[in-house]
Amino acid sequence: MVLTSVGKMRALQKKTSGIRNICILAHVDHGKTTLADCLISSNGIISSRLAGKLRYLDSREDEQIRGITMKSSAISLHFEKGGEEYLINLIDSPGHVDFSSEVSTAVRLCDGCIIVVDAVEGVCPQTQAVLRQAWLENIRPVLVINKIDRLIVELKFTPQEAYLHLKNILEQVNAVTGTLFTSKVLEERAEKETESESISDSAPGDQIYDWSAGLEDTDDSHLYFSPDYGNVVFASAIDGWGFGIEHFAKLYSQKIGIKPAVLLKTLWGDYYLNTKAKKIMKGDQSKGKKPLFVQLVLDNIWSLYESVMKRDKEKIEKIVTSLGLKIGARESRHADPKVHLNAICSQWLPISEAVLSMVCNKLPSPLDITAERVERLMCVGARTFDSLPPETQELKSAFMKCSSEGTAPVIVFISKMFAVDAKALPHNKPRPLTQEEIAQRREIARRRHVEKLAANQGKELSEKPPSENTSEVSTGDTKGEEQQLNNQTEIMTSKAMKQEADNKESFIAFARVFSGVVQRGQKIFVLGPKYDPAEALHKLSSQCSAADDLPLVPHMTCCTLENLYLLMGRELEDLEEVPAGNVLGIGGLQDFVLKSATLSTSPACPPFTPLNFEATPIVRVAVEPKHPSDMPQLVRGMKLLNQADPCVQVLIQETGEHVLVTAGEVHLQRCLDDLKERFAKIEISVSAPIIPFRETITRPPKVDMVNEEIGKQQKVAVIHQTKEDQNKIPEGVEVDSDGLITISTPNKHATLSVRAVPLPEEVTRLLEENSDLIRTMEQLNTSLNEDKKTHEINQKTIDRIKEFKQKLEQSLQGRKWRNAVDQIWSFGPRKCGPNILLYRFEGYKKSVWQCLENAVKEASKYRDFDNSIISGFQLATLSGPMCEEPLMGVCFTVEKWEMTKVGEVLSASSQDSGEYDALEHEQNEDTASLRSSYMAAGCSEDKHQDSDQSVPRSPEKTSKHKAEVLLADCYGPFSGQLIATMKEACRYALQAKPQRLMAAMYTCEIMATAEVLGRVYAVLSKREGRVLQEEMKEGTDVFIIKAVLPVAESFGFADEIRKRTSGLASPQLVFSHWEIILSDPFWVPTTEEEYLHFGEKADSENQARKYMNAVRKRKGLYVEEKIVEHAEKQRTLSRNK
Amino acid sequence: MSIFTPTNQIRLTNVAVVRARRAGKRFEIACYRNKVMGWRSGAEKDIDEVLQTHTVFVNVSKGQVAKKEDLVKAFGTDDQTEICKVILSKGELQVSDKERHTQLEQMFRDIATIVADKCVNPETKRPYTVILIERAMKDIHYSVKPNKSTKQQALEVIRQLKETMQIERAHMRLRFILPPKEGKKLKEKLKPLIKVIENEDFHEQLEIVCLIDPGCFREIDELIRCETKGKGTLEVLSLKDVEEGDEKLE
Repeated sequence: MVLTSVGKMRALQKKTSGIRNICILAHVDHGKTTLADCLISSNGIISSRLAGKLRYLDSREDEQIRGITMKSSAISLHFEKGGEEYLINLIDSPGHVDFSSEVSTAVRLCDGCIIVVDAVEGVCPQTQAVLRQAWLENIRPVLVINKIDRLIVELKFTPQEAYLHLKNILEQVNAVTGTLFTSKVLEERAEKETESESISDSAPGDQIYDWSAGLEDTDDSHLYFSPDYGNVVFASAIDGWGFGIEHFAKLYSQKIGIKPAVLLKTLWGDYYLNTKAKKIMKGDQSKGKKPLFVQLVLDNIWSLYESVMKRDKEKIEKIVTSLGLKIGARESRHADPKVHLNAICSQWLPISEAVLSMVCNKLPSPLDITAERVERLMCVGARTFDSLPPETQELKSAFMKCSSEGTAPVIVFISKMFAVDAKALPHNKPRPLTQEEIAQRREIARRRHVEKLAANQGKELSEKPPSENTSEVSTGDTKGEEQQLNNQTEIMTSKAMKQEADNKESFIAFARVFSGVVQRGQKIFVLGPKYDPAEALHKLSSQCSAADDLPLVPHMTCCTLENLYLLMGRELEDLEEVPAGNVLGIGGLQDFVLKSATLSTSPACPPFTPLNFEATPIVRVAVEPKHPSDMPQLVRGMKLLNQADPCVQVLIQETGEHVLVTAGEVHLQRCLDDLKERFAKIEISVSAPIIPFRETITRPPKVDMVNEEIGKQQKVAVIHQTKEDQNKIPEGVEVDSDGLITISTPNKHATLSVRAVPLPEEVTRLLEENSDLIRTMEQLNTSLNEDKKTHEINQKTIDRIKEFKQKLEQSLQGRKWRNAVDQIWSFGPRKCGPNILLYRFEGYKKSVWQCLENAVKEASKYRDFDNSIISGFQLATLSGPMCEEPLMGVCFTVEKWEMTKVGEVLSASSQDSGEYDALEHEQNEDTASLRSSYMAAGCSEDKHQDSDQSVPRSPEKTSKHKAEVLLADCYGPFSGQLIATMKEACRYALQAKPQRLMAAMYTCEIMATAEVLGRVYAVLSKREGRVLQEEMKEGTDVFIIKAVLPVAESFGFADEIRKRTSGLASPQLVFSHWEIILSDPFWVPTTEEEYLHFGEKADSENQARKYMNAVRKRKGLYVEEKIVEHAEKQRTLSRNK
Repeated sequence: MSIFTPTNQIRLTNVAVVRARRAGKRFEIACYRNKVMGWRSGAEKDIDEVLQTHTVFVNVSKGQVAKKEDLVKAFGTDDQTEICKVILSKGELQVSDKERHTQLEQMFRDIATIVADKCVNPETKRPYTVILIERAMKDIHYSVKPNKSTKQQALEVIRQLKETMQIERAHMRLRFILPPKEGKKLKEKLKPLIKVIENEDFHEQLEIVCLIDPGCFREIDELIRCETKGKGTLEVLSLKDVEEGDEKLE
């Protein structure tokens, strides 16, 4: 039985003063949805018996199974009070911390909120969070203290105890509000101070300092909750009762004969009733009297509960009759006393009445929107209201008026997009057929029946008289068949259509009209978050409308509002138009709006401030389809998911991983379910994302692992054998004590000497920051080398390069780095990374600074092959020897490069070939230059072609090019050899130095209250985190802790920290930098002390080795691990005879 | 010689035999299973964890110990432990189950890593992850051949994967500069080898920027060098044409 028709709702929507947009906010499991159920049942949408059990607004399956709300959903309710009719747009919100983004979307659309607090649990972390959110959005709260029945039934409190407990809770809530208030005042004061400072600079004579915190002058009494203000309701949603204090005040004013106004003031607080004097006196506790609230209110409820629970029939009868209620026989005979209780209470003190009347009285209508809130909504970021263009400022009055006249500009805010099955849309729903349709269908059916009969007859005919009119019959037959076929195809197509509709997800925007009237089919501007009205107004006249042809303005598009819906929980009702101040659903915007947007008919409208989310997404996982061919579906599904969820991030990483970032584990689970069942409809697998590392080298350590000086200790012979052969530098490679590697190419034509040196930290950082600049430098250099002046070099870039060079020179100082900057040969990997190649041999001059000097290229015997060296260096830096991860902060210096024969061979070959004329000579030169540009290609051969046996190697037909032939001996082309040799040299040079892994680090900011500080520290230290600083937020008891945490340890971190601190700490992770892991991945104990301290195998946690082996295992590289630890402890397969 | 009775036999269990032929004689040693590879790679350093007994046999299963004079003749010493070490490092061994298993698994991973490294999804120009490739390899029931190199097998896998999923070798981006005379003629010859021509510029010289399959590189290189007699130049702009950086799906 639906009491209120859609038509009624439509009428109510027009009366703006009677609209209340409210949401229900609370900690998880404090009874938001149950309360919502009670309110819904008052409208007859669900049965009052089912209220609290059905959880009508939890329409998702997993919401019902888990018993928590996961999304905010709206419903419109009708309420009548004192002859006035109200339309209440109620939004239920989730309480779980993972879905706090949904709370933000709900809060934005409302003018007021109901804060629900559990009478037993009191103020919980999320209660604080939602209070803060309501505060930030500037909406007015009212309080419902729920589950009072638990105080009676579970905790068995006496009324007196319950009163104290409730008082306590109220104080807690007010304390939270108080802190929010003080922190705001303090902030404002700080702002003022900075302002006044800038002013006082000009007037130094004024030295008076204001010591007061400003708290004293600001009135805050209106903020607090107190029953005598009428903004608190005591309730038990599950039993269906609730009351505000004025209910009892009215009741008793008649009974006792005290003025209701007096009772209202005294019913809550330290007052007691002096029965003799018929007076209300102050100070109950000191006199040991019952407070008025206990005596008049709680005692009655307690006695009712008691009598019903004990099944005291007489007493119940008495109470019921005295209250003038009618209880059905079914309820009073029910086996469960709760049912009986529910029946009595919900009639005596109906919760919906109490809550909704409070809402109507205490919460503002859309008309009463405060100027402060409007300004806050309209000003994005740090912009002040005054800085907005005048047209925009005028819109403020439209906001304030909230008028539904046709002339008023339409302003709509969309806070989220949610997906519904296309089936659920009103126009796709099955509806009762009209009379004509029924008649039409009957007609069709009849015709079909006739045809069938005819066909059958035809068949019979054809069977019976075989000679007569076969031809006719056969035509009839075919006709019938044809028709059947047609029918079939029709059915098929309709089926296909239906299936398509089934599969399709429709997106509906969850929105509110702030001004004007929204009409179906209206053309309207969609303003993205970055839209700037000032800029657009420049281009357009403020009078233009969305229907006109308009020039393109950034972040603004036009669209048509296809469908408007009234949101009724899981149902949607079609609407033609929606006047200002209402919450509505808009269909058909999925192509225009991603997550949230502002719609307006006026281009002067500024986009609303983005929603402030309490929780940012931090749980990262990689998702993959189970079947690789499902990849496109996954990508599409992830896009849809991104649109449907306000707080999820999806991205594709450079490694090809599809990463899903969610707010928490429960949120993650929901996203995955959605992805599997609604958006992608494929099997997916979830794993921890791949964690990148970097490899580097350090200076040899001075002390060993037990802090003894190295070199003084005696080495233990048995163990140190491993240390020597671990680097495994093969024969033919010379290594001197200083780590200089000398290596020759396989054909012995060239010899290289390379050394690896760690770069100072600031240089690495500098290189990282300027990688883009280095890339442009590289491009400039190549264009210069080709003698093409096509690239007109920008003066700005030149300046930047010069500055960069200067900075490098500054940070590379000392004897070791003399002239180093001028000798930079290349950067790597990819020619722009944080590693440097230097040349330190005579007779060579080429540098990366070429573009600065505009120097002409200089011919030398090395020039032809220097690209090979660079390619080798690039390859070496791209994958290091430890676990094939890129290098970072390493400088390679080529100290010697000898080319014994190549040069001679080259010149000889060109000389003794007599037939070469002058032209041919030139050509030879060209060959050389070709070679040099071909070097880069060589490295590809090295990489891609080594094993590419399938490609036929065309025999060396290039006999004309003798040089080529000479150079390409049995070891392959010389350039390739050089690349390989250079790469090897770099790797060995690295291995000669102490190698270290670098881990990616997150900076982690944690907000936590004082009592869980210890647990936060415990979790951080368990995951190798390091606390950088800790400070207290002014005016609150919240600490802000800054820490760094390796990315490798971050999987599951957010969940763990929330669990350990019962949700009182919320971390945020942002990638910050690379950090060297101090431990040596190859470390084994070598000295007596280390041996004593760590034991023979040293298999106590070695962080670096753990990471290195994990990466190597993942990549299928060789891991130095025993397959079987103990030979004797294997399973014996053959029996002992 | 002691009497061969059940009471004075020492039964060895979990034996892996390592054999070596020296001086026309066969010598064997008895090792534990799954340990010999570890010794050879240097992961295991304790010889007692590898050898069941420091004795050199002629036939382990029959328990026939090698004669001293044979040992001296073959190895030049009669120190059993030293000879055992020689046989361990040089002899032919039975590969035990777990050893084989880890080796195959390692190769499997290696192949998948190479494939993932070389290939992209042609639609998005982004690489596939190793895990996905591994799963795809299992789906097509690819069996690793232990005696073929992983790179060779990786190329084979790519060919097979193309039938079931969208995968392609990452293209190489090249730039040719060809002299005008041979340019036209050469371009015709190059065409079948080129996948996509991104940019073509024909004044003074023919300049082409294009994407090719890395398998054709040698051919193209050869072609250009021969046909233009060294006048044309070939430059590799990028080895792998893949999307860089993270992308937000929106």
